[in-house]
Amino acid sequence: MQLSTKHLLGIRDLVPNDIQIILDTAAQFKEVLQRPIKKVPSLRDVTIVNLFYENSTRTRISFELAEKRLSADTINFTASGSSVKKGETLLDTVNNILSMKVDLVVMRHSASGAPHFLAKHIPAAIVNAGDGINEHPTQALLDAFSIREKLGTLQGKKIALLGDIMHSRVALSNIYLLKKMGAEVMVAGPPTLIPKYMQQAFDVHVEYDLKTALEWCDVANVLRIQLERQNQVLFSSLREYNLQYGVKRSLLDNLNKEIVIMHPGPINRGVELDSDVADSKQSIILQQVENGVAVRMAVLYLLAGGKTIQN
Amino acid sequence: MKVLIKKAKINDPASPFHNSTKDILVENGIIRAIDSSITEPADEVVDIPNLSVSPGWMDVFAHFCDPGIEHKETLATGAAAAAAGGFTTVMVLPNTKPVIDTKSQVEYIVRASERLPAQILPIGAITRKTEGKELAEMYDMHASGAAAFSDGLHPMQSSGILLKGLQYVKAFDGVILQLPDDESIAAHGLVNEGIISTRLGLPGKPSIAEELIVSRDIQLAKYTDSRVHFTGISTPKSVALIKEAKEHGVKVTCSVAPYHLALCDEDLMQYDTNLKVNPPLRTREDMEALRVAVAEGVIDCIATHHLPQDYDAKVLEFEYAKDGMIGLETCYSILRTYLPQLQEERIVELLSVNPRKIFDQPVSINVDQKASLTLYQPDEQYTFAQKNIASKCNNTPFIGKAFVGKVAGTVYGKKLSLNQ
Repeated sequence: MQLSTKHLLGIRDLVPNDIQIILDTAAQFKEVLQRPIKKVPSLRDVTIVNLFYENSTRTRISFELAEKRLSADTINFTASGSSVKKGETLLDTVNNILSMKVDLVVMRHSASGAPHFLAKHIPAAIVNAGDGINEHPTQALLDAFSIREKLGTLQGKKIALLGDIMHSRVALSNIYLLKKMGAEVMVAGPPTLIPKYMQQAFDVHVEYDLKTALEWCDVANVLRIQLERQNQVLFSSLREYNLQYGVKRSLLDNLNKEIVIMHPGPINRGVELDSDVADSKQSIILQQVENGVAVRMAVLYLLAGGKTIQN
Repeated sequence: MKVLIKKAKINDPASPFHNSTKDILVENGIIRAIDSSITEPADEVVDIPNLSVSPGWMDVFAHFCDPGIEHKETLATGAAAAAAGGFTTVMVLPNTKPVIDTKSQVEYIVRASERLPAQILPIGAITRKTEGKELAEMYDMHASGAAAFSDGLHPMQSSGILLKGLQYVKAFDGVILQLPDDESIAAHGLVNEGIISTRLGLPGKPSIAEELIVSRDIQLAKYTDSRVHFTGISTPKSVALIKEAKEHGVKVTCSVAPYHLALCDEDLMQYDTNLKVNPPLRTREDMEALRVAVAEGVIDCIATHHLPQDYDAKVLEFEYAKDGMIGLETCYSILRTYLPQLQEERIVELLSVNPRKIFDQPVSINVDQKASLTLYQPDEQYTFAQKNIASKCNNTPFIGKAFVGKVAGTVYGKKLSLNQ
């Protein structure tokens, strides 16, 4: 079992077989995580640096936990309170860290393409933990894992990505992955938050009406309004956003089916998702988080050229 | 100082020697003789096989970064890059530190270029500090040698100020250059908005940001009956608007950058920062339409958009990398390689005849004229390499590219520059 790529820069670069391998490996790790002793020695003597140039809670903890469960040595780095504040370039920072013999780099960065840039200049394997508005591949993998767990397959399923598509790296990675695995994809949200060439670029359905999207889909993956990434006014107010595009109990109750609700977190409660939906039994949001650790273990394990998963 | 050029095919529609192969003798910067065979001894003899010669080429939009940003380029290295690319006259951007917005700034460049192997003509700023607010002293700058006016890399946004600027330069029949870009549209855009930008997760900049300004400025040129030159035209719609305006007698002309003829957004898949330019690389269809417009004559000239960026400005995250590509050294080879259908005469029109007509810098290959000559080999094949770059910076994606058509050198006044 080997991936066709040395890095995980994005789902864009993966072939369906890679995705299959990662999801299957993740299933094995999920089983490991149910045991009383959750730690395996697979990445003993592998050193991983978690480079977070942008804030993160979930992803960072999830990666760190995955690394620890695999017995890797980890170093954490955040841009605030580091040499970045003193003006050091990304390449210098990484080369300095690598000179201390680091094998793998997990990086989150606010600029699209930053991990691709790094991959051209450093020898270590890179896992993209989110770059700008481009990709967040491990999120898409854990979303796919969670859908597969819930519905048995991705093939032929109808997945709607709702909300801020334009600023969402989760959306792009999900689209790449779901299309590669044979699912049908719709993006829905206000026209100002959906890139103009979405349909031509990905052959996905584009919808501006939330109710229509919910009626169409099997799974609604509700995306976070990226308040921190809005550098211009793209909608009038959070109140109006919630009225038009917030996923509400009443909307779901009027559907003649039960759809699965997902969210990559962190949730803006009362904006894109109401609490009585987020916390309902239709929601698999916390399972997504749980699966995140197993999926990230699989990715790190496969990229580190892992030996067999030991008991 | 005598320079003798042997057996060169003269390509100058304005010269009585057009289309004939002659020897040319230049003495102390003046063309002394043009004849079938000149045997007079000379200090330098240029004898290169399959050589063509045309009136010196002129670039209308290059950044030499001097004064103030000399770690990227200086007037001296810029002039060397110009000579290497076959240009004897270059109009340089006002976006220096300080901005070229006064007589003394203009004079600094004019004077410094006197000893260089290419003529450097400053483009004066339209507004003080290129802030787009108050008109700069354009009469004074014109009298000191500014060849045209533009806010350069900060295209004029205000219709009102541009209108006044266009009226103001009418007094001396001046030309205003505009890099058309409506900065209020997709201010954070990094590449052309389209299928590729969507797939790459990079913020897009739509064509309409360019086309709106082209459309607006045509109206302003018409209203003021003044002259506008658009540079960096990159979409078929812009071309169509300009074509229509010309047909209606509006005084507009335009130029394109070589990279818009050679590259498109599909080349961006690896986030190569050397391909980050403004206006951005457009779609393949746009690129192909632009090639047709160049061949058919709607495009008046080629502007290299030579924009040097040092290593540290390009070797970093795509979003943070600076815009631009060096363009003087590769311009001719790009035209020959990517537009092989262009006749030699059309290339000379694009690189010399038209820009010299628009900006009133005539030269001619004739006896007793000041020497401004470009020497080139239309069919020479070579691989573009580091050693072909004379600029201070190497920000070009063409290193390693196999080219057809090579510049042999230039004669500008008393200065002979020959490439390896």
